Amino acid sequence: MASVDGFSHLVVHVTDLNRSEAFYRDIIGLDVIGRDLVTDDGPNSLLALNTRQRLVLVEVPEVTAIRPNSSTIHHAWLLTIDEFQRTRERMKKAGYDVDDSRAQFRAMGENSMDIFDPDGHRYQIQAYAPEATQVITEDIGPIACGHVDDFAVGSVKTFVKGKFCLVRLPDGFLALSRWCTHLNGLLSWKQEHWEFYCPMHGARFDRRGIARPKGRPCPPLRLHPVSIDDAGVVTVDPGTAITRSDFDPSQLTVPAATTREAETAQAGKGA
Amino acid sequence: MAEAETLSHSGICVHDLKEAEDFYCGVLGARLQGAVNFFTEDTLNGRSVHQAYALGDFLFAVALAPDFMPMPPDEQLKGAMGIRHAFTVEKAAFNQVIAGLKGKGVPFEGPVDHPEAGPFGQSVYFKDPSGNFLEIVWRRDEDVVYAAPPDLDVG
Repeated sequence: MASVDGFSHLVVHVTDLNRSEAFYRDIIGLDVIGRDLVTDDGPNSLLALNTRQRLVLVEVPEVTAIRPNSSTIHHAWLLTIDEFQRTRERMKKAGYDVDDSRAQFRAMGENSMDIFDPDGHRYQIQAYAPEATQVITEDIGPIACGHVDDFAVGSVKTFVKGKFCLVRLPDGFLALSRWCTHLNGLLSWKQEHWEFYCPMHGARFDRRGIARPKGRPCPPLRLHPVSIDDAGVVTVDPGTAITRSDFDPSQLTVPAATTREAETAQAGKGA
Repeated sequence: MAEAETLSHSGICVHDLKEAEDFYCGVLGARLQGAVNFFTEDTLNGRSVHQAYALGDFLFAVALAPDFMPMPPDEQLKGAMGIRHAFTVEKAAFNQVIAGLKGKGVPFEGPVDHPEAGPFGQSVYFKDPSGNFLEIVWRRDEDVVYAAPPDLDVG
């Protein structure tokens, strides 16, 4: 069958149409279009968002706002950051709690509040500030990470300072920024799954920094420049972020032959 | 102008994620956007195990219910578990959608006519396999230009 084109409207059962219409108009900030413009199970009110999406409040004798034995039932209004700040003020003035109970799960710049309507329907109000998508770098100067031989082929080492991971692939090194390219959530390396994982929205990346095929579609992780000096010390500059569209072997920094083994071998020959 | 741009997503619960994926992707044409929190430590920290389906300008975050949810009667096809989600198709595709529901063996009620003064034309009503009520509607205002939906990838 044909796919649906998109979302049309949310039908919400309420026990007092006047009370709920006032809530969605005055607190959430929707525009009231009119009454009984929809065929449904009771008197109803149609309200508008700025996109074509609509809200239909239908008055019924009883409402079960949260389905028994379920969890996480909620609906999320997406606002501009300016609308979010104005809504926050309206909510505060009306005595609602505007703290984000799940702040530890938010990416940088991701703003969120929860609110219940008069019948107990649960909503999330969310907005993304510019810092949610900006490229983050740390101008703290180059970081000496260690000798090339300290990093086994295939290994991933996380650096807290600079917020990057140094990956040694068979053919060289990559320094991957740990800031997710979806929104600025901080990735963690999941050794047991051989992938980077964003606990904010579930993005997953392999060791080349490429999004997993069945995961959230995201651009590749950004790179920081890697250099290796004559003594074999690997240095990363987290002050520069390199955006890319795919993985290319030329992105790898290849160690020279002057590893400790080579030096040892050379020293052995000399003796 | 309203103070809200769009509904970006809803979190709902189902009894079986594979069954839900087959329904939303196979019947409504949703795209699997990702699977979240399939890590034990995250679920122990209170995150829900869920999949996300993209349906045009909307994401359904479909979580595994922690216990069996009471089901509406089999014969009830139109209703709301407190809420009901309605998706839109163009008027020209509406009959094709109805044929699609029939073809997939999804029982539905309708089409039901809406008042001409309102923005909606006709609706059909049905349920997902876990008893969540759904609606497909064609709209009289399908040629009206509204604000563009925000990028769902920031959700």
